[in-house]
Amino acid sequence: MHSNKKILPFLYLLPTGLLLTIFMIIPIIYTFYLSFFDWNLIAPTKDFVGMRNYVEVFTDPVNQKVLINTFFYIILLLILNFVIPYIISLIVKFFIKKMQGAYKIVFFIPSLFSLVVGAMIFSWILNPVSGPVAFLFRESGFVLPNWTNSGALAIVVLCLITNWKVFGYNFILLLTGLGSIPKNIIDATTIDRIPKWRMIWNIILPMNKSIAIYVLILTIVQGLQYVFTPTNVITTGGPYYGSSNVLYHTYLNAFVLYKTGNASALAITTFLIFLVLLYLEIKFVEGRSKYE
Amino acid sequence: MNSKKNVLWHLPLIIIGLVALLPVVFMISNSFKTLQESYQSILNLIPTKPTIDNYTTLNHQVNLIRLIWNTFFMATIVTLGKLLTGLLAAYAFRYFQFKHKSFIYLLFVATIFVPFTIVMIPNYLVIAKLNLLNSVIGVALPQLCDATGIMIFLKTMEKIPSSLFDSLKIDDIPNRRIFFNIVLPILRPSIISVGAMFFINSWNEYVWPTLILKDKGSFTLPLALQNYISSEGGTNFPLAMALSSIMIVLPLIIYLIFQRYILNSISNSGLK
Repeated sequence: MHSNKKILPFLYLLPTGLLLTIFMIIPIIYTFYLSFFDWNLIAPTKDFVGMRNYVEVFTDPVNQKVLINTFFYIILLLILNFVIPYIISLIVKFFIKKMQGAYKIVFFIPSLFSLVVGAMIFSWILNPVSGPVAFLFRESGFVLPNWTNSGALAIVVLCLITNWKVFGYNFILLLTGLGSIPKNIIDATTIDRIPKWRMIWNIILPMNKSIAIYVLILTIVQGLQYVFTPTNVITTGGPYYGSSNVLYHTYLNAFVLYKTGNASALAITTFLIFLVLLYLEIKFVEGRSKYE
Repeated sequence: MNSKKNVLWHLPLIIIGLVALLPVVFMISNSFKTLQESYQSILNLIPTKPTIDNYTTLNHQVNLIRLIWNTFFMATIVTLGKLLTGLLAAYAFRYFQFKHKSFIYLLFVATIFVPFTIVMIPNYLVIAKLNLLNSVIGVALPQLCDATGIMIFLKTMEKIPSSLFDSLKIDDIPNRRIFFNIVLPILRPSIISVGAMFFINSWNEYVWPTLILKDKGSFTLPLALQNYISSEGGTNFPLAMALSSIMIVLPLIIYLIFQRYILNSISNSGLK
């Protein structure tokens, strides 16, 4: 009976634990192993190359370009998917009195749709020749630049597509955080006639810190993975890897160029960056949970 | 003065609402236009001569029923798997004391931070070894658990008072019965909302299926749509938009029915 009680909780954890071990923990170790080899995913033998794949992550010009792109992606994603939704959630919470519910419902709708749908719609809307935006530009005497020819512009468009999908989701998370701030604190500042922007800056933002950091980290971790879909559908990382990022480049190396070792080294590098973010999440967000 | 100010604050919100909705409205409208009309009257929201030609053409080119079934089948397996494993795990975290509990919980949460690129090569090799390439089972298999579900279920379970469980345990009621007869009924709303989210996400999934499903007969809707976008000689947008319109019906219906539940569960997933 006693030993049975000890085993019981692990029986409940077994399905998740088993799946995570097979499809997550072992694969991470195996990818780490593969990152020290030269392999093409099919050949029966793998050549041990030591740290060469890692050296290439940082010295190969294409990889360097991709790493810089990734940094550019992160900055853009933070602005589009974190800063703007945060400002909008503050407006909805503190500056308007009606329609809060309606905005929530409407803003969330694009989150229901596949990023492939989003990529298709926006490649129509922003089509430099026949799209509606190009049409409006022409009518007013401008020319819509052909963004597929420019890595930087392509990155902006790909980020906008992800923004279309996740904006509502992040907005609702941040708004919920603001909603959980005790009402009497907000009331007290209105009685004291403290200007709203000062109340927000000095009281609301610090109190909402934990959920804001959660959304900020999610924006980077999920955003870089979300961008994958429109990238593959519209630009396939082009022109000349100009819109590729470290995740997309891992995929290209693994399943298009069949450079498994390089792909694995890139994946491990991404993982290390994400681990830093995980550490921040545990420190600032999960740290408050009772399971810590 | 004050009300004028108020209206001004609504302006950015209305613009965002339009940016969210207009693309979809245009997409549906274009799916009822001929290719020619879609080029000539770009900004016309209502087609002058509505036609269902795009839908019939689509029906000739791809096996729509097969596509919808593949997608539905995959999403259902993934959703049921994630719900079951998530509920069981959350139950363990809530009602048992065991060694390394906080460490195991953090390990589960940490999986959210694992980029798919780090597991995709080994998982691809495993699915290929199991002969599950070109099968939606192969797509579903590595995805049968999800840390977000565990987090939300745990949060809901925390609202059930511990005293209830203590008394049940004194009466020696087996955990199996507590789980099925008491916890599951109480958790119904969050099971519905989390399930709806899982289903919609899986219905829309693209990245992992593109690696596993290469044969057109095994395609899911997003993969079929991608084929229309990258087809040689430019995209036939009205056709692609017809397929997209078919794709968004089910998620929209689910959202209309469970909207309140879904928005609540998102809120819950962020609250710490």
